[in-house]
Amino acid sequence: MDFKRFDLMRRNVGPVELDLIESYAQKKINRRDFVKRGTIVGLSAPFMGAVIAACGSDAAEEGAGTDTEGTGSGAATGTVGGNLIIGNQFGDANSGLDPATMLDLGTYNVVSQCFEYLVGLGDDGNIAATALATSWSPNADGSVWTFELRDGPVWQGSGEPLTSADVAATMDRAVEFGNAGLAGVIGEGSVDASDPTKAVITLLEPNGNFPVLVSLFNTQSLITPADYSTGTTLDERPDGTGAWKLDSFDPTTFVATYSRNENWWGGSTNLDTIELRGFSDIGTAVTAMSSREIDVIQNFSVIGGEGLLNDDSFNVLTPPSSNHRQVPFNVQQGKWNNPQIRQALAYTFDREQMVNTLFAGRADIANDHPITSGLPFFDADATPQRTRDIEMAKQLIADSGITDLTGTIECGDLGEIPEFAQIIQQNAAEAGFDFQVNVQSNSTFYGDSWCPGPSETDPNLPCDGSADLDIVDWGHRPTPDIFLGAALSSGGVWNGSNYANPEFDQKLSDYRTSVDVAGQKEAIGSIQSILHEDAPALYAYFFNYLAGHADTVSGVQTTALGHVIVSGASKDA
Amino acid sequence: MVRFIVRRLLLSIVTLFIILLVVFALTRVFPSDPAKQLAGPFASEERVAQLTESLGLDDPLPTQFFRLVRDVVTLDFGESFSQPGVRVIDLVRPALWNSAKLVFLALMITLPLSIVGGIVAARKKDTIIDRSIVSFGLASASIPDFVSGVLLQFIIGVQLGWLPSISNAPADAGFFGQLEYILLPALAILFVYFGYIARITRAGAVTALDSDYARTAYMKGMSTSEVVRKHVLKNALQPTVAVTGTQMGYLFGGLVGLERVFNYPGLGNLILRAALAPDFPLLQTSVVAVAVIFMIATLTSDLIIAWMNPRARLDVGEN
Repeated sequence: MDFKRFDLMRRNVGPVELDLIESYAQKKINRRDFVKRGTIVGLSAPFMGAVIAACGSDAAEEGAGTDTEGTGSGAATGTVGGNLIIGNQFGDANSGLDPATMLDLGTYNVVSQCFEYLVGLGDDGNIAATALATSWSPNADGSVWTFELRDGPVWQGSGEPLTSADVAATMDRAVEFGNAGLAGVIGEGSVDASDPTKAVITLLEPNGNFPVLVSLFNTQSLITPADYSTGTTLDERPDGTGAWKLDSFDPTTFVATYSRNENWWGGSTNLDTIELRGFSDIGTAVTAMSSREIDVIQNFSVIGGEGLLNDDSFNVLTPPSSNHRQVPFNVQQGKWNNPQIRQALAYTFDREQMVNTLFAGRADIANDHPITSGLPFFDADATPQRTRDIEMAKQLIADSGITDLTGTIECGDLGEIPEFAQIIQQNAAEAGFDFQVNVQSNSTFYGDSWCPGPSETDPNLPCDGSADLDIVDWGHRPTPDIFLGAALSSGGVWNGSNYANPEFDQKLSDYRTSVDVAGQKEAIGSIQSILHEDAPALYAYFFNYLAGHADTVSGVQTTALGHVIVSGASKDA
Repeated sequence: MVRFIVRRLLLSIVTLFIILLVVFALTRVFPSDPAKQLAGPFASEERVAQLTESLGLDDPLPTQFFRLVRDVVTLDFGESFSQPGVRVIDLVRPALWNSAKLVFLALMITLPLSIVGGIVAARKKDTIIDRSIVSFGLASASIPDFVSGVLLQFIIGVQLGWLPSISNAPADAGFFGQLEYILLPALAILFVYFGYIARITRAGAVTALDSDYARTAYMKGMSTSEVVRKHVLKNALQPTVAVTGTQMGYLFGGLVGLERVFNYPGLGNLILRAALAPDFPLLQTSVVAVAVIFMIATLTSDLIIAWMNPRARLDVGEN
């Protein structure tokens, strides 16, 4: 170890960064986790490289940024020109191209071609300074974050440069609309825009992961112009600072066409134009990809996608993914109020069967909480892996005293969810549960069954009228803040289980306000135990997100939230 | 004849009114609240209430129905619920045109082949040719259109690459370019309707070929092809024309499965999305469009039958 060099770097950072560096030097975290966490708190790549070099490399350690395979297909060096066609999920009619309120992968992808986020995507699938902010740093306790804005982005509509006033207006709109990632994190007027080149954001309480919450992993946090009025949609008012300008959008076919933004700060794109083509059915999109009528497919499933997975001229992209299907109980009513009966159902899950049947092994088994094992603060010792145990399930049912084991599993018709529901039904039947499965269209499910709306009288019922048992689709986030906050905290805007546990809420607050890895790990370990025990929702697996493109295309980046970034892509003629 | 047409048009208006009433009633018993769906799951109760008022959903039902009738009469179908600011007619018109192209191509292929198949089967009655045509037709008609669509898509589109597997023609595709993209779904329709139409044509042709006037024509020295052309066709095809007319409504609005398989933005897909949203103005207008097409098609088929059959012409004139 080069102590002199290391000491020099220690002296020039704040407390948050110092803790991280010390943790790495003391081998409390490995190099991969150091780089991941370092990017979040705003350490630059050269600085992190210098720390790693000063600490001495370890051949046994995993290389930074090399483990997340398949995020992108490399820098574009191919042909200049041409049109790229991307098979996109058909956006929900009620979602609209509104950057603040859009709700599905199809719409995220359409809108994010024109607008950009403060924090972008790195080659390793982690966040990086590749978007509107060139760097960021926290104050001593992580309650104030300063984002240096990039010099160069201009609005397509007005030609005016991006300023911190735009960021301030966007954040205020996010607060107004109850943005899931920022709810409870910032309030109105949180951005100091006195310096147009710098957005200084004061949080309601310290948060060590804040940059993730203003990145593309908080899909509704796209930066819009200061004068963007509420409810404006991209097709009504085409605008943005991004690489592409919207030329046309047909809502009946969900086809959006774009041309190169000649004033993009990132330079000239290789491609002249791109087209996002909506598909109501993933199977149809797979067919189109198989016959090369589209060049890129935003997402496909293992079920039905075997042809693509076995196609040598098709490049599969598997960005880092904490995608999962949450099975929440409405814990405020009926039999699901009893944790024993919830645990009983958990013990009927044959998780290996689910992973093998639904994903041909392309998924990781989960343990009834939404914390993936790849996170630096994951506590592997917090809870033993729950496995299928029908006798235990029956015992728990008997202990609960509940005799009515009937119910309906409500779900949308997305991906493998209907099949997942059937497997749950079959697994649970062995313990005596008698479930029906009700598959609805996605828009009907999310409008009626899941979280119809908050109770007018009880703040602990943020999702009054939620189905007793359903299956909810959760897209990838690099940190579990939204999975824990929006989905499980008391009053969380997406808390379909209406779970209200003060101990959980406290631990969540501890996690959010911890800016050091040790503090986060302690809090998350407790959270893992609480959720495993209480089981307000069940988590059976985290599945790989699959996207891909023809081998005549290169430079495509994807996220497990449906973004398809093609500003650096090219296509052979 | 004019009186017949006028009478049919007046009857159509009554039929349309009844259809409007039924569609209106059905949409009002939907379990989901359109305003809540449109406002999104995180909207406040105030926002939902605002939306309910602005969409007129809290007006008395007779008022809402009157508004629907007025919109239909003035051909101003209002704005879509699910896409605020977008006129319903701007959504229905392209979908209708897309469906029309598909139906037109499908009929251009299906009708001649089916009629020829039926005539051949009739002429070769009780031979292996007859049995083959009937059996094949029965088998192909038993397979739902979207199933044969998937098979055609996989074999011809994906494996052989002879035709586009998805019916999304590029925006700059010319007329024949567009037809190339909808040839596969048109063939799927052929599979379903060939057996149906061929059997009806066969039945009509068998009856016509066994009739006295056909026997007389033979005895006069006419060749078989002349007999078929001059005497049999006009009589044999009347049921075929009638059936084709009655199927038009389904062909325009009912090919949801097929449109989904081929990602084709036809009227069926639009109706499905409107029903799921739920988007009442779009759903009502789309259903009215299908009803109007159905009425025009049946009127047209009746007129064609009247032209083919002098007795029907007389009946029409008397009526």
